[in-house]
Amino acid sequence: MSASTTQTGTPAAQFRAVTQKFGDFTAVDAIDLDIPDGKLTTLLGPSGCGKTTSLRMLAGYLTPTSGTITIRGRDSTRIPPEKRNLGMVFQSYALFPHMSVADNVAYGLKLRKVESAERTRRVTEALEMVGLGHLAGSRPKQLSGGQQQRVAVARAIAIRPDLLLLDEPLSNLDARLRLQMRSEIRRIQSETGLSVVLVTHDQDEALEMSDQMVLMKDGRIQQQGAPHEVFAAPANHFVAEFLGYENFIPDGHGAELTVRPEHLVVTTEAPQTDTTGALSLAATVLDVAYRGVDVLITVEAATPGGETVRLLSDTRAAGAPDLRAGDRVSVQAPEAHLVRLPLKS
Amino acid sequence: MRSRRPVVASLAVLGYVVMIVPLVFIVITAFTSGSTLRFPPEGWSLRWFSEALAYKPFMTSLVSSLQLAVLSAVFALLLGVPVALAIHRGRLPGRSLLEGLFLSPLIVPELVVGLALYQQFMIGLDLDNLSTLLIGHTVLMFPYAVRVTGASLALMDPAVEDAARGLGASPLRTFFTVTLPLLRPGLFSAGLLSFITSFNNVPLSLLLQSRDFRTLPVTMLDYVQQNYTPIVASTSVLILAGTVVIAIIAERTVGFAKIFGGINA
Repeated sequence: MSASTTQTGTPAAQFRAVTQKFGDFTAVDAIDLDIPDGKLTTLLGPSGCGKTTSLRMLAGYLTPTSGTITIRGRDSTRIPPEKRNLGMVFQSYALFPHMSVADNVAYGLKLRKVESAERTRRVTEALEMVGLGHLAGSRPKQLSGGQQQRVAVARAIAIRPDLLLLDEPLSNLDARLRLQMRSEIRRIQSETGLSVVLVTHDQDEALEMSDQMVLMKDGRIQQQGAPHEVFAAPANHFVAEFLGYENFIPDGHGAELTVRPEHLVVTTEAPQTDTTGALSLAATVLDVAYRGVDVLITVEAATPGGETVRLLSDTRAAGAPDLRAGDRVSVQAPEAHLVRLPLKS
Repeated sequence: MRSRRPVVASLAVLGYVVMIVPLVFIVITAFTSGSTLRFPPEGWSLRWFSEALAYKPFMTSLVSSLQLAVLSAVFALLLGVPVALAIHRGRLPGRSLLEGLFLSPLIVPELVVGLALYQQFMIGLDLDNLSTLLIGHTVLMFPYAVRVTGASLALMDPAVEDAARGLGASPLRTFFTVTLPLLRPGLFSAGLLSFITSFNNVPLSLLLQSRDFRTLPVTMLDYVQQNYTPIVASTSVLILAGTVVIAIIAERTVGFAKIFGGINA
């Protein structure tokens, strides 16, 4: 695991050996996790990996089967959600349909006995933060999905939470709005300085938004660190595959090499014999798919151990060799782009 | 109704005809000036309406019926809502079994329920017949209350309640500020359905009647067995008018789509 360089000071929240079981199924398996203060952390992984369960335990909707969750230095493992002061944004937005937008945002403030004038000020402030000041009097039903999402964010930040938790906040939005909301959430995070935990299954979203990303699978943390660290040095086969490394080459010594398609070069030259760390394999072209900007070339290559693997190269169309299925070629990748992984268990 | 499916459309029309035509006959005969239930009427008058309003057994039993229907609907909701909440929000093992159990009064013949109540409560415990009727009707209404509020609960996004908790509301506060307001159409429809079912009930009310407390349908049934005057028609028309008024109020305040939308879930 690469050392996380983003963490400074006391963490906003900590998981220690936290396990969540549903009957025989272990959704989260003894995880240790620090949520850094004032940063955006994403929990990333395929469905069923335990990311949402972890978030719900942090929010207090689920009590861990075992382990401890500390929020701002206080053991919160068994504290109910209403006593945690966390702002949660749900995938379904979960606005109160029988209240106006302003009343939705004011709900948490009323419970905190914030007096009327101050409440109005903070509702306005929160709604302006998400760019919806003009819709205070509307009903949630009258708003678009994107607007409802913003109200949900405003409602969560109005209470000045210790942490802002976002459960797949963008998955119900259309593609363009999703891109826009990514930078919007980043902006809100940096303007408020809140510690944010965001759950997503979209690696692009995690890479773009996170200060720290935590990859999960089968209830366990696979790797955590800054996006560029994780992206450049995946710790295992799963992380590599999840982040788009498509080529896995057994090295014949109990490990495997991986390289991203865009770093795998196909040439008509013969494979080099003295590679000193770089990759160079003889291969046969299986398929060439022209996609405008780039070309996807699928080849079958012989590994050092004598096996045959299918590899994918994503090359810019300009200057790509003119290839056809059946052509004898070689595939090459410089050492800097090769990642050595322990063999998939 | 601009249906492009002629078979469905004609069946619907046929359904309406079968339901409404007999009512039309009743309404018309209620305005007769003659003294027997006969179609076509011999002449026109409002005399049977004033007779109905002046006929004491009908008016007394109408009040009884209304009392019983309102009280049993309220009791059924007071019992049914917590049960529906427990089934849909609680973490109970054997949820579907439990739900089936709570719907079972729908399956047991009402006469059997009535007889059991008569033996155990009126004779066994010496309860008066209003209390026994109230118990009986509440038991009968209970499945409706559970089912209809349950359907509204099932339609409600549980994350909305989670959101309230997260913002600092205790479970009780969440119930009163979020769950209950969102449940209102469901409660309204469950209450209305219970009220109507109780008001129309004959088998149970017949078995558990007494001279002091008797419901309107039972009294009318009794009357029709011995007399054949248009007073039953005019009383029916009055009830019909009352029902239409309730329906209009329901439509104006909540909307039928919302009330009965809860049932089909």
